[in-house]
Parts: sequence; structure tokens; C-alpha cells
Amino acid sequence: MSLMKKGKKVRSQSRARKVSLGATYILLVVLGIIWLVPLIWIVLSAFRCEYQPDGTFIGRVTSNFFPKAYGLKNFTDLFTATYYGVPKAFPRWMLNTLIIAIIDCIISTFLVLSVAYCMSKLKFKLRKPFMNISMIIGLFPGFMSMIAIYFLLKSIGLTGNPSHPEYSVIGLILAYSAGAGLGFQVAKGFFDVIPNALVESAKLDGCTNFQIFMKIILPLAKPIIIYQALMSFTGPWMDFIFAKVIIGADNAAYWTVSVGLYSLLFGTHPDTNLFTQFAAGCVVVAVPIVTLFMFLQQYYVEGVTAGAVKG
Amino acid sequence: MDSALSKAPKNKLNLRDFFEPLRKSLANFGKRFADGSLGTKLSHFIFGAGNFYHKQYIKGAIFLLLQLAILWFMIFCPAVNGTPYGWKALANLSLKNVKEGGEFDPATGHFSAGSDCKLMILFGFVTIAVIIIYFLIWNMNIGSSYKADMDKKIGKKPTTFIEDLRELLDSKFHVLMLTPTCIAAMVFTILPTIFMIALAFTTYNSQDMNDLGTNLFHWNGLQNFSAVFTGEGSLGVEIKNRFLPVLGWTFIWAIFATLTCYFGGIILALLINKKGLKGKKIFRTVFIFTIAVPQFISLLAVRNLLGEYGPFNAMLINAGIIDKAVGFLGLHVGDSENLAKVMVIIVNMWVGVPYTMLMTSGILMNIPTDLYEAARVDGASTLKMFFKITLPYVIFVTTPYLISSFVGNINSFNTIFLLTGGGPTYTGYQAGGTDLLVTWLYKVTIDQGSYNTGAVIGIFTFIITATITLVTYRRSKAYNEEDTFQ
Amino acid sequence: MMKKIITLLMISFMLLTTLTGCGGGSGDNGGNTKPDDGVIRVWVGEESAEFYQKACDEYVASHSDFGYKIEVKGMDTGSIAGTITNDPTAAADIYTVAHDNIGKLASTQCAKPITDESLIAQVKADNPASFQGVIYSTLNGTQYLYGVPYISQALFLYYNKALVTEEQAKTFEGLREAAKKAGTKAITVSGDDGFNMSFALLATRVADHGTTVKIYAGAESVSGGSKGKSNVQGDDTIAIFRWLQAYAEDPNGFKWASSDGWDADLDKDNKGVLAVIGGAWHYNTAKAALGETNLGITLIPTFKLTAEACEGLTGVQAGDEYRGGTFADCKCFMINAYSHANKYVKEQELIKYLSSKDVQNQSYLAAMNVPAYVGASEYIKSAYEAGKVSESEYLLAANQVAMAEWGIPQPFITGTLNTYYYSKNAPSIFRAIIDKTAYPTTGDMILTETTSLEGIRKALYLIEYIWMHGVTTKDFPGTLPAEA
Repeated sequence: MSLMKKGKKVRSQSRARKVSLGATYILLVVLGIIWLVPLIWIVLSAFRCEYQPDGTFIGRVTSNFFPKAYGLKNFTDLFTATYYGVPKAFPRWMLNTLIIAIIDCIISTFLVLSVAYCMSKLKFKLRKPFMNISMIIGLFPGFMSMIAIYFLLKSIGLTGNPSHPEYSVIGLILAYSAGAGLGFQVAKGFFDVIPNALVESAKLDGCTNFQIFMKIILPLAKPIIIYQALMSFTGPWMDFIFAKVIIGADNAAYWTVSVGLYSLLFGTHPDTNLFTQFAAGCVVVAVPIVTLFMFLQQYYVEGVTAGAVKG
Repeated sequence: MDSALSKAPKNKLNLRDFFEPLRKSLANFGKRFADGSLGTKLSHFIFGAGNFYHKQYIKGAIFLLLQLAILWFMIFCPAVNGTPYGWKALANLSLKNVKEGGEFDPATGHFSAGSDCKLMILFGFVTIAVIIIYFLIWNMNIGSSYKADMDKKIGKKPTTFIEDLRELLDSKFHVLMLTPTCIAAMVFTILPTIFMIALAFTTYNSQDMNDLGTNLFHWNGLQNFSAVFTGEGSLGVEIKNRFLPVLGWTFIWAIFATLTCYFGGIILALLINKKGLKGKKIFRTVFIFTIAVPQFISLLAVRNLLGEYGPFNAMLINAGIIDKAVGFLGLHVGDSENLAKVMVIIVNMWVGVPYTMLMTSGILMNIPTDLYEAARVDGASTLKMFFKITLPYVIFVTTPYLISSFVGNINSFNTIFLLTGGGPTYTGYQAGGTDLLVTWLYKVTIDQGSYNTGAVIGIFTFIITATITLVTYRRSKAYNEEDTFQ
Repeated sequence: MMKKIITLLMISFMLLTTLTGCGGGSGDNGGNTKPDDGVIRVWVGEESAEFYQKACDEYVASHSDFGYKIEVKGMDTGSIAGTITNDPTAAADIYTVAHDNIGKLASTQCAKPITDESLIAQVKADNPASFQGVIYSTLNGTQYLYGVPYISQALFLYYNKALVTEEQAKTFEGLREAAKKAGTKAITVSGDDGFNMSFALLATRVADHGTTVKIYAGAESVSGGSKGKSNVQGDDTIAIFRWLQAYAEDPNGFKWASSDGWDADLDKDNKGVLAVIGGAWHYNTAKAALGETNLGITLIPTFKLTAEACEGLTGVQAGDEYRGGTFADCKCFMINAYSHANKYVKEQELIKYLSSKDVQNQSYLAAMNVPAYVGASEYIKSAYEAGKVSESEYLLAANQVAMAEWGIPQPFITGTLNTYYYSKNAPSIFRAIIDKTAYPTTGDMILTETTSLEGIRKALYLIEYIWMHGVTTKDFPGTLPAEA
């Protein structure tokens, strides 16, 4: 009897499990669709190619989710158009951002790793105060610092320099990567997990701290290096305020792509009929970043988890 | 009385604790001067003299060069935009000795501009930083020479430059590693922050200055802070009537944004990691999209999607759910404030939930399975297991994240700025219905040019976030067990 | 002890390079002009950057003695003034702004006076008297020319020709009638800022161009002394706003522009509005919203005051016909105060060329910039007859020029007074009136409603007060001063 009961229970349990599994599928698919709709819409808008009956192009937001006609006009326009007096501005913005992102990525990752290593594995007098200060110093809202940073950079000729507008790109890289070292918490959390015994034994073997860092810590730190690199690489693609101030509103040729795209949509542009072109720009920017993210997903997750646990 | 008595000695002790290191270091200076060699004595006046005395030429040269450079900087006062550094910058810090400027010679076209008060303040602080650095180097150069003296006394050779460099790779490795970040933080974070705090005590408000037809401003003590309560000054009404509502909404937003994303993320992670579910990776990838796409793209997409003539309103109208477009994001004067508030929290979930989902996925897998086995044997329901095992475990592990994401949400500029722009706006005010302190600060400073008022708002924001961070962090397990990781 | 050497080395090195690198001159104020590096930089609106670069290159090529290279950059016209005041030393030598920025830029020492006799003579000869009054400002008590007009800007009407007849587009009532038929609202404005609000503030009686609105009327000069008199709370203005309140409440009446953009309103599929009050710089967008064949361009319509609007007012009569007005502004070339004195002569020479009638005409053909000089309408007409511009491009310029006669340039005196109108929220008071909401004033909410006659008059008095004093009043007088 008890056996029969158990059998029934197992069967009803497995049915219940199937039902709940099915419900989960449905829920996840619905959620997934909700999650993707805005992004799909941007992609669709990028390929939208609708015209007024008399041939005027419609580049505005329209109420139809699916375009009535598709085409590549937004992309070709985007890549060839002159914005702010700069011919073929968009490809330039892409290139500028790429350069800035790569250099920023290298410098920032290096700074973060070096600070995180010190905080995690070295003992010195000012360690605790340094950690406390670095935690709160970044909490000051940045807009006010923007003017100060602008004039400090200007003091060394790295911005607001009409004869050498390209210098402000260096200024921007400096400003982006300078603060990076203070965001060491995630990497430190990761280093904390590396056993101290490893470091100690290396020390007994006569390794210097430098050698320990280079030969023991760094090879183990691949996930966190990739995480940090990913984070600092994507940063410059997203900032649309700071970059404009540092590079200068007049130096459209040296803008980053987010400043450019943001200006397309919100500037007092003579032709505000540019939403679909903006969407095309978004697609061009997002595709490489998303691809990068997808490839490096595993490292990103590791970083996020380390960051969450160690704060 | 009793307590007063018992407190008294403690106070004394504290005071002595405070003065002891100071006294010691002063004594140390005296001792070094008295005991040191001729080189060490000379080092008090000429940097690197002691090193030259001990034949440490490179080190000596570096010290000397630094001294000369700083002295040059202090005496000759290089200028940017016509505002000098150096001793003049110190004198300028009072903002007393300012020139209105504007002399114009039509014949030559020469125009002399007036003083730039903001640069006077900024450069004044830079100069103070340089002076502090000067004395640090001074101390270091004496110490360096004195150490060589001591080495000599016990028969050791003074260290060579190469040896010093080598030390940097080992016992002083942290100095090498932290220096770039310290310099960067000093120049790009600390100095600007001090500058910003200073502005809160000035009359630096472009509008007021325009009204007076002047480029000059001056110090005005705590007036900007009292304006928050009295409503005086050019932005007085704004501050008085809008400060508390904005502060309140900032907290409500931070609480809701944090909790919705947090629990939403946990639930989503549980769903995706459900046993027997196929295509986990695909589902996860779908949700990661919103993290990977830059926020100014995804948020502007949503903003336009939800616009008055956007597809979402059109769909609702076609479906007959509404008969007139709804202003979901409060972009229009007169749109519902509460709806806009709810919408930003919902859209924020769209951005934030996947993040928590990713994070908790890893943690969920780490929960010891025997916990569940034991519970199952006891006949606990799935729901009960969730509340008794899963949730406590996850919360326990992710407390630091909760705090940092709460603070992050207080300062969450992008979401509000890109989605609602702070709207719905109220006639006559800068701060709209969904403005957070930080977006309000942006409007007040960047749009409005009221830097002093902005600085006051910024300081309040900072006090709030810094207090929360420090208090909770110091209590957290991570902090207190920090040393055990060493 | 030796430890932090490198630390310090790097800190100091950084700081030193910081400070020496700037290389600027020393001394308090001697070194604050930009160096003379052989280039004159010019900032113009984004849409005209290409044209002006070409024009400048041609000029330099044909004047071998000019001696400077010219670099033209396109800017967001809306943010040029702000960018300049943030750091004038990084701004261009010659920049272009709307004339209402002149006072601010001059008084904050971002602009240099123009003294070249021949250029002043050209400005005097070419421009309408209305512009002459708003391009001067004072420096240390002396009045100087600061801005050289080269583009005129005024509001007019774009409408949907498919749904509105030419006759209907002439009146607000006609538009409403068409809107009722189409199931839309009648009209919107391209923005709720002070410039756009002029369509209501400056509305004038059709019969005699009459209005009681005065802004700095009778002021002695731009250099101050007397500010003259301002009045924006005459009976006609009150009646106009009461009429507008009713028109805005009408389901087929006035609508504020959508946050999706006024062009989304104009799109016929969206059933938003049938017409929009805008300027020449909105042309491309309006064209894209309606298609060129459906795009109608005309004067801002007229309206008849209703009996309700005139109730309790003596200065107006029901049935009086008014036409919506406009600020008739101009964009000007100005010289950066920080520009090197060596360039001064050449800068003025260049401005003289760029603001000449000929270049203004070319700029109209190339970038749809409506010329500012007196008699531009003749050229506009001849260009159309010669087939150089399309019909709507012609209508646009012609209607703008015609509209300008129904408006005044935003006036200003003593440097900054006109910017009060914007910066002290006068536009949002207009908005409060039209929306019938309250408006906060210093201290307490003393303007609690804008529905009653008294409430509207108080609100308009606030605006008048802002024009005159640059602040919102803390208290209303027992009886508001009637028409001055």
C-alpha cells in the first residue's frame, strides 16, 4: 500500500514538475520577448526605409513597430554624411572611440590590477585609509569636477587648445583612465581568493614582490583581467557628457561616437529627422560590443559575482 | 557626575594620543638636525645636499631638481588663461584682489579681460597641494640623508641608486604600484572635489553674475546652505520648495530600484536554473543583451518606444485599451508624475534585473545541495525552501552588493536623464517629478550655471551616500574579516 | 626613507609638466589673449559650415595680403553662447550667435567691440532700423557695435496643405474648423521657449498693427540711463491670452508640441496637428513630416477676439482681429574678446565680407539662411524667378521676411536686461497662463491661479516686472499699474 502510494506520489510529482517546467518555459519566453522588444525595434528602425508619397524620406519615430519598407539607406547616409561640418563624421567618431577605448582599456586595466594587488596581498601603513577614501571619493557627483578637470587638463595643454584639437583626445584618455585605479574592489575580491600560501612560498624561494605579481598573480588573474578590460573598453562608448566637454563642442572631428549620436538626436540639428540614422548608428556601435560581451560572457559573470560578494 | 568623571581621563588620553605623534615627529626633526652630518644639516635648506655629501649623486640631483622646479613654480607663477599659479595664486585665493577688466583700445584692438575667479580658486588649491608636496619632499630628502648617516655610522655603505630602484620592485613594491593611481586621484578626483566643495561657499552663479553684469564672484560663507531653508537667493524658491521632495523621491527610487532589480534578478535566476530546463544558455544570453548594449542606446530606444506617437501607445490605442496617447515618461508638462515614477522603476528593472540574475546564478549553484536534500526529507515545499534556504543564503552573500547598488541608484544619472529628463516638469521649477538629486544637480549647474547651488546639492548628496557606504561597509562581514584574507 | 622617491618624482614631474607645459605668459592679466598663430577661427551654425568655409577660402585666395588661414567650424547653434562663456579662450576668434546673446556676451567680456569705420558704415547702410537698436552694447560707459547681422530669423506657419485650404490657413478659426474635420488639434509651436511664445505676446491688431505691448519703449539708448517703459499687461494682451486659453482648451485647438517632436504632431498619420508655428531652420523637418507637396507655408494666422475674452476689459472689443506676432531676430557675427589684437583688423575685414549682401544671398541659396539686409525680399523673389530655389524654399524666405514686419527684435538695454526674459522664467509664466496653472514666485506661492482676469493680469505683470527689473517681484502692488 505504501508502495502504491509512493508510486502515485512520484507520478503526480513528476506531472507537477512537468507542469511547472512548462510554465517556466512560457514565462521565460514571454519575459525574453519583453526584454528584446525595444532592442529589436531599434534594429528594425535602423533598416527602416519609408518615404512620403512625394519621395521625402521619413527618418522620424513612427507609430508602426514594423517598417513598411526596408533598406540600407540609413547606414549609407550615416557613413557618408557631413555632420557639424565634418565630412564622413561617423566613421571618424567610430575610429576615435576605438582608439580611446583601446588605450583606456590598457591603462585602466593595468592600474586596477596593480592597486588591487597591493590592497590584497601587500601590507603597508596606509592601506586601510586608502581603501576607505577610495570607496567614498568616487561618490561625489561628477559634474562639478568636470569644469575643474577641464581647466587642469587645459593647464597642460590637453584640452581647449584650438591649434591642437587632437591633444584633447589624450586629455580625455587621461581623464577616463585616471580614476580607474580607485575602482579596484572587484579585482581585489578576486585576488583575495588566491591563497596567501602561494605568495608566501614564492617569497621563501626568494621572489620579489614584482616577480610574484608578474609570475604568480597575473597568470591566475586571467578572468579578472578580461573582466576589467571589458569594463574599461566599453566605458568610452557610453559616455556622452564628459567627452563633449573635454574634447570640445567645436571639435566634432574628434568626438566619440556616443557624443556624436547623442547630438544627432538632441542637438539643435537643422534636420531633426534623424531617428532612423541614430538607430543605424546604435546598431553599428552595439554589434561589436554585444559580440565582445557574448564571447567574454563567462569572464563577465565571474567578475560580477566576485564584485557582488566582495562589494 | 559619575560619567563625567570617568570620561575626563579618557578625553585626556585621546588628546595625548593625538598630539603624541606630532610631538614625536617634531622631536625627530630636531634630532635629525642635531645628530645629522653636515650634509643632513644642509639638506634642510638645499634639497639633495646630504645625498651629494654621501656621493648619491643621482638621488641628490633629483631632489635638487624637484626643489628648483617647485621654487620656480612658486616664484615665477606660470599662468593659464591669465590666471597665475604660485604665490600669486595663494594671494588670489581670498578673491579680494580681483580686476573687473574690460579696458579696450580701439586703435590696436587690445582688450584686457578681468580676473577669472573660478580659476583663482582652482589654482589656489593646486598651489597648496604643491606646497604640501614640497614639504613631503623636504622631509624625505632629510630622511634620506639621515639614513645614509646612520648606515655610515654602523659601517654600511649608503645605498646606491640602483639599490633604491631594486627596493621599489620588492619591499616598496606598493609604492611603485600605487603611485600612478595616487597622482591620478589627486589631480582628477581630489582637487576637483575640493574645488567643488569650495564653490558652495561662493557667489558663483552665472545668472546672478549676468544680472550684475560682472564676471567676478566672491566668498559668501554659509549663505548658500541657509538658502535651502530660507528660500533666499536666485534659486531660493526652487531649493526651498523642491529640495525635500527631490530628496524623498531619490530615496524612494533608490529603495525600489534596488529591491525590484534584486529580487527580480533572483527570481529570474531561479527560473533559468530550474532543474531540467533546456536552453539555459540561450535564455541567459537573451537577458544579457540589455547589459551589453550601451545604456544611452537601450534607454533612448525605450524612451522613443514609449513616446506619444511611438509604437507602444499606438498599439494600446489600436487594441482599444486607451483612447488617447499616454505620457508614460512624464516628458510633457502635466503628465502624471506617479505614472512616470512607476515607469522609470519598471524600465530600470529591464536594465538591472539581468545583472542580478547573472550574479546570483553563480551563487545559487554554490548553495550546498545537502541543505536542500535535508529539507526535502523533512517534506518542505519548494516555496518554503526558497524562503528558508535560498533567499537567506543569497542575501547573506550579497549584502555588500545590495549596499553598493543602493548607493549607485542614488547617483543613477543615466536612467533618469535619458528616460524622463527629470520630467514631468513643473512650471517655474528646474527640478521635475522624477528628478533625482544628481540629475537636478546637472540642470542647476550645467543648464543653469548656478555652480554654488549645485555644489550645495552635491555636498548633501555626498554626505548621504558616503555615510551610508561607510556605516554599512564598516559593519559588513567583508570589512571585518578583511584581514583574515591576508 | 628612500622609499617614496619615485612616488614623489612622478608626482612632481607630473605637476611640473602640468605647470610648465602651459607655457602661458606670466603676470596677472597680460597672458590671457590667445596666441597669434596665423589662423582665424570662425564658428557658424552647423548647417552653414561648409558654405562659409568655401566662402572664406575664396576670399583668402583672392586677397593675397590677407595673411591668415581661416578655419570654419560648425556648431550646435543652440549651445554656441554657452560654450563661449564656459571658456572664451578656447572659443573661435569670430563666432555667430542670435542677437539676444549680445548683451550677455558683451557684459561677461567674451566679445570685443567692432570699431572699423567701413564695417560700421556697412552695418548702418544695410540693416533695418529695428536691428540697429539691438546690436550695440556698452563697455565702460561707451557704446560700441558688437554684432553684425547676417541672418534674419522670424516665425511663420507651416501647415498641411492636404487637409487645410489656403483660406483656412489664414485664420486660427479656419484651422480649428479643418482640425475638427480631420479629428486633430489645429496648431502647435515648435517649442515653449521665449522666442516661440512671441506668437502670443506680440500679436497685433490687424487693422492698424496696434498693440499696447511695450518693451523698453523710449529707453534713451542701449547704454542705459532710462530703461524706458515696458508694458505687457494691457487689456489687449490679457484678452489675447484669455482667447488663447479657450483655444487651448478646445479639443481641436492649440496643443503643446509632443515630446516626440512637433514634427511627429504634424505627421498626418499621427493625427496630431495641422499646422505649426516655426522658423526657417525647421524647414527640412517639416518637409519630412508632410512631404514637400503637402507642405504649406504662410504667415502666422489671424484670430478674432471672442466676447468671453473681452469680458470686463475696456481696451478691446469682441470681434477685433489680431495676427500672431513674432520676435524678428537676427544672427550676428561677433569677435572674441580674447582674440589676439594682431588679428583685429583682419577679423573685421573678414566680417565685412561675410556679412555683405552678396555673401548673404549666396548663403540663402546654399544653406537656406534668410538674409538680414533691407530689401532682401527682392533678391529672394528674383532667385525664385531665376529657378535657383524651389517654390517652398521661396515661400519660406518670403513669408519670413513678411512676418518680420509684424514683429520686433527682442529688445535689450544695458547689457543683460533682455536675458532676464529667458533666464528668469518668463516663458514658463506664459506657459502657466495658457495651461491655467499656478506659478511659484519668490518666498510663497503668490500667483495661485491664472484663470481669473486678476490672475492673468498678475501673471503678465510678473513678466513685465522681469523685463524691467530682472527679478520676479516678491509682492504685487495693491493696484497693478495700468497701461503706461
